[in-house]
Order: sequence, then C-alpha cells, then structure tokens
Amino acid sequence: MVNIPMSSVSVASRDLAVKRFAARDAVFRLLTRSAAYLVLTLLGGFLVTLVVGSWLALSTFGVSFFTSQSWNPNPDILKFGALAPIYGTLVTSAIAMVLAVPVGLGIAIFLTELCPLRLRRSIGTAIELLAGVPSIIYGMWGLFVLAPVLQNLENSYLVPAVAEIPVLSTIFAGPSYGQGVLTAGIILAIMVLPFIAAVSRDVFETVPPVLKEAAFGLGATTREVVRKVVLPYSRVGVIGGAMLALGRALGETMAVTFVIGNDPKVRASLLAPGTTISSSIANEFAEAKDAMHSSALVALGLILFVITLIVLAAARLMLLRMSKRSGV
Amino acid sequence: MSVSTTSAPVLSGVAANGPIQQAAGPAAREKIKIEGLNFFYGQNQALKGIALSLRENMITAFIGPSGCGKSTLLRVLNRIYELYPNQRAEGTVLLDGEDILDPKQDRNVLRARIGMVFQKPTPFPMSIYENIAFGVRLYENLPRPEMDDRVEHALRGAALWNEVKDKLQASGTSLSGGQQQRLCIARTVAVKPEVILLDEPCSALDPISTSRIEELIDELSSSYTIAIVTHNMQQAARVSDHTAFMYLGELVEFGDTQTIFTAPRQKQTEQYITGRFG
Repeated sequence: MVNIPMSSVSVASRDLAVKRFAARDAVFRLLTRSAAYLVLTLLGGFLVTLVVGSWLALSTFGVSFFTSQSWNPNPDILKFGALAPIYGTLVTSAIAMVLAVPVGLGIAIFLTELCPLRLRRSIGTAIELLAGVPSIIYGMWGLFVLAPVLQNLENSYLVPAVAEIPVLSTIFAGPSYGQGVLTAGIILAIMVLPFIAAVSRDVFETVPPVLKEAAFGLGATTREVVRKVVLPYSRVGVIGGAMLALGRALGETMAVTFVIGNDPKVRASLLAPGTTISSSIANEFAEAKDAMHSSALVALGLILFVITLIVLAAARLMLLRMSKRSGV
Repeated sequence: MSVSTTSAPVLSGVAANGPIQQAAGPAAREKIKIEGLNFFYGQNQALKGIALSLRENMITAFIGPSGCGKSTLLRVLNRIYELYPNQRAEGTVLLDGEDILDPKQDRNVLRARIGMVFQKPTPFPMSIYENIAFGVRLYENLPRPEMDDRVEHALRGAALWNEVKDKLQASGTSLSGGQQQRLCIARTVAVKPEVILLDEPCSALDPISTSRIEELIDELSSSYTIAIVTHNMQQAARVSDHTAFMYLGELVEFGDTQTIFTAPRQKQTEQYITGRFG
C-alpha cells in the first residue's frame, strides 16, 4: 500500500475550495430567498396601493358603499355604491360553478374511467386547447352567437314555461335581451370548464389502480367505484380545482363585459342585464376624470381582491379540515 | 417442458410417477378447474397452458420467482385483468363446472363469488364500518341492525373486531398496515364469497401481523376455498394444503405441499425451494 503524504499545498487548496463553495451557497440562498420574498412584497404592495387609492371613496361613503346600488359618476352627483357589481360578480360566478363543476367532473370521469385509450388522448388535448383560448374570443362568440340564441330560447321557452311557478317566474322574468347575468354565467362556465376537467382528470389519475381493482374485485360497477372510491379519494384535489376555477370566474373581465349588459343594478331576474366588479372597472376606468370616481373604482378592485382572498382562504381551510377528518 | 430423468429427488425412495393432478390428493371436490389457460399482456404470453384444480375448502399456494405468472393467474380467476384493454385470456376456467371466462358470465357476480385481497392493503377512503358495508350493499339491501351484525361478524372473522369495535367510524386509512390488511380480508369475507384469492397478502407486513394473517387464513379455509400467492416459501409450507410451483409462465409442478417441499419431482422445483435460483 502506497502512503500518500498530505502536502500543505493540497490542504490549502481544499480550504480555498470549501470557502468558494460556501460563498456560492450564500449567493444561491440569497437569490432564491429574494425571489420568494418578492411574492410577499408584491402581495403587500397590491393591498397597500388598493387601500390608499380607495380611501377617498370608502371614507366618504362608509358602509353605504357596500349596501347602496346607486352608482352615479355624473360630476354633479358623484354617488357610488358597489352592491350591484358585487352581486353581479357573485351571481355570475355561482352560475358558472353550478354549470361547470358537474360537466367538468363528467368529462374527467369519462376520460379516466370509460374512454377508449385513443380517444382519451385527443379529447385531453382538446380540453387543453380550450383552456388556452383568449377570453376576448369567448366574449365575441358570446355576444354574436350565444346571446342571440339564448335570447330566442329564453323568450320562446323558458319565460313562458316558468310564468306560473312562484319563485322561478321571478328568477327568470322576461323579456330577455340576450345580454344579461345568465348569459355571463354561461360564458364563464364554458371558460372554466376546461380547468375543472383538466385538474379533475389529473387528480383522478392519482387514485392507485390497486384501490380501484379492490373495489372492482368486490363486484362493484364503474359507477359505484367512481362514486365510492375515486371521488372520495380525490375530493381534496377536485375541490382545489373547482376553487381555482372560481378564482378565475370571479376575476374574468373581457368575456363578461361583452355579454352582461353593463347596467349597475341589482335585479331579481337572471335574464336582466347587470354588471360585475371587473367589467365595471374595465368599462369606466378610462373615463374616470373625477378623483372620487377613480377612487370608487379602485375600491371595487380592493373588494374583488378581498373576495378572491377569502375564497382561496376558505378553500384552504376546507381542504385542511377534510384531510384531517379522512386521516390521510 | 421435459426434465432430465437423471435429476435425483431430494429424498430417496420417493416414487414420483403418474400425472401431476393425482398428486393433489383425492379427497375434496374441485371448486375451480383450470384447463389450457393462456394469458397475454399485449404480445407477451404470461401464462402457457396452465392446467390445475383448486379443491374446495383447501388452501392452494402458488410459488415461483417474480414474473413467473402466479399473480397473473389469480387475476384471471376473478377477471380483474379485464380492466386493462391489452390483456386477454384463453382457455377454460370452470367454477363449479361453469366457464367463468365465457363473456356471458356476469363479471360482477363472479367477483362477488371470488373475492381478492391484494399485496398492499387497500382500505377505501371511508370509515371502517363503511369499508365493510360497501361491498355488502352492492348485492344486499340490509336494514341497519342486520348490517351491523354483518360488519361485526366480518370483523370478528378477520380477528379485527376487538381492536376496532370502539372506532368503527374512524377512517379505514387510520389503521396500521396489518390492521388494514385484516380489514381488507374482512371486507372480502363480508360479501360471502366462495373462493378467496390472496395475492402476497403479507409481503408488506411485519412478522407479528404476518403470523396473525396466517392464523386467519387457516381459520378461513374451513369455509372457503383459498388460493394464495406468496414469495415466502416458509409461508407456503406453513399454510397450504397444495402447492403449485410456476416458472416462466408454466406450471412446473403441482402437488400436496408436503410432497413439494420434501420430495419434489422436478429439478427446478427442488432448486427453487432450496434457494438455489429464483
């Protein structure tokens, strides 16, 4: 065995190398840490800007900014209440979720459990492409194609059909102009559908095959396996996907602006025109000469920001509770 | 497969002639009779002309190196392979004289008659109670008290009742690995199958859980026909009445466990059980 003496030179160069590594590590840590902190800074920055910008409107109108639906940018009146856009935002998003979640789950279940392999690939790609269509396309299509069709259907069938039924006759009171809250909700549903379908499909694919085999092995049918095993196993992810979609629906601007009718009123009928927070801002910001008007619009932005945060926080909380209960 | 006649048996003086089938012993009725079974994963043939019988209320062990087709064979018996489009089986598998590979046979009814327990415990994402009630509800609409009885009976049958009776509403996934596996056995038993297929049921478990499950298998064999795949030779020797040794998709040797482990007729069997290959 050859004895290799450790020369002082090699020790020194190794020390040098170690120092170099340490320096690189420190730089690396600093870079990644600042990237992470950038997110916090941005979030805080948004919040501060929105609060400062909306202060004038919020301090002037107080609680009535949330409870009043009079939105009047006339320089002689300048009275602002955000109830109509808040209501429109919540209702259109709710319609979108009610329509899109069941259909999205249906698509995902078909793709993962029933669809022949070759079709699975092409439908999957179509869904991803659908998610990439710019929202202005949805808006144009909604205005020029969907709205007239819906107007016709609603006036000829829906309105007469529910005319005698107490609650429904109010919700679907005519006449429909095609542009309105329901149309906006349907457009939103179409827009978030690919998200829900794609996320649910990915989540369903994480269900271990052996778990499904075990259920099939007891003699369960596909429907029973989906209901009792696949959905419960993946519900956390499915809810996460739905919340993601809800976040998008709440903030969607362009497509909604095209089809909602842009009238800042709270109306009982879903067929009537309305407005949402984001479409109000988009419509009016360029023309808001008055400081109070722009402040009111920034306040709308703050409200949307807070609503979105609450939705996300509620989703987090729900997922946390669920995963605790199921003991996963 | 032809085996050289010069290979000496492990114990001298054991005359081993005659057809393989007879070695399985005369006593019990044939519950499952497999004839000329071939199985394919796409182009790959995984089982080649398997022929053997599972006798009623007996435990049959399947041993052999990984990839020899023993798990595949179990997956044919309850047609679970049909979940995957590229897999197909040829031949006949008779359950009480009826061919289960016949497409006209209802696979859900078949799977209720032939239960399966997998290598990894597979509790469903629901409570312990519901894990058992799930399978029962597929076929029977029982009022609550009867369902309670059935769940308790199944859990007692799987030697799990005393450990979980106070937390039936807890999630099935909250149990330990050994408990989960017994829950899966209870779940299988609750459907009242005639045959139970066990695919390496102890390979993910610690020795204590393993010995509990082995005791359980022994008890279950008084009411069920059992097929167990195992990598553990001692386990096969301990629990089974008959043993089948498979290699590269073929059935090399089949006989009563005593004979297979003390006086195998085939050289390959002898080498495998003595640990010289596999």
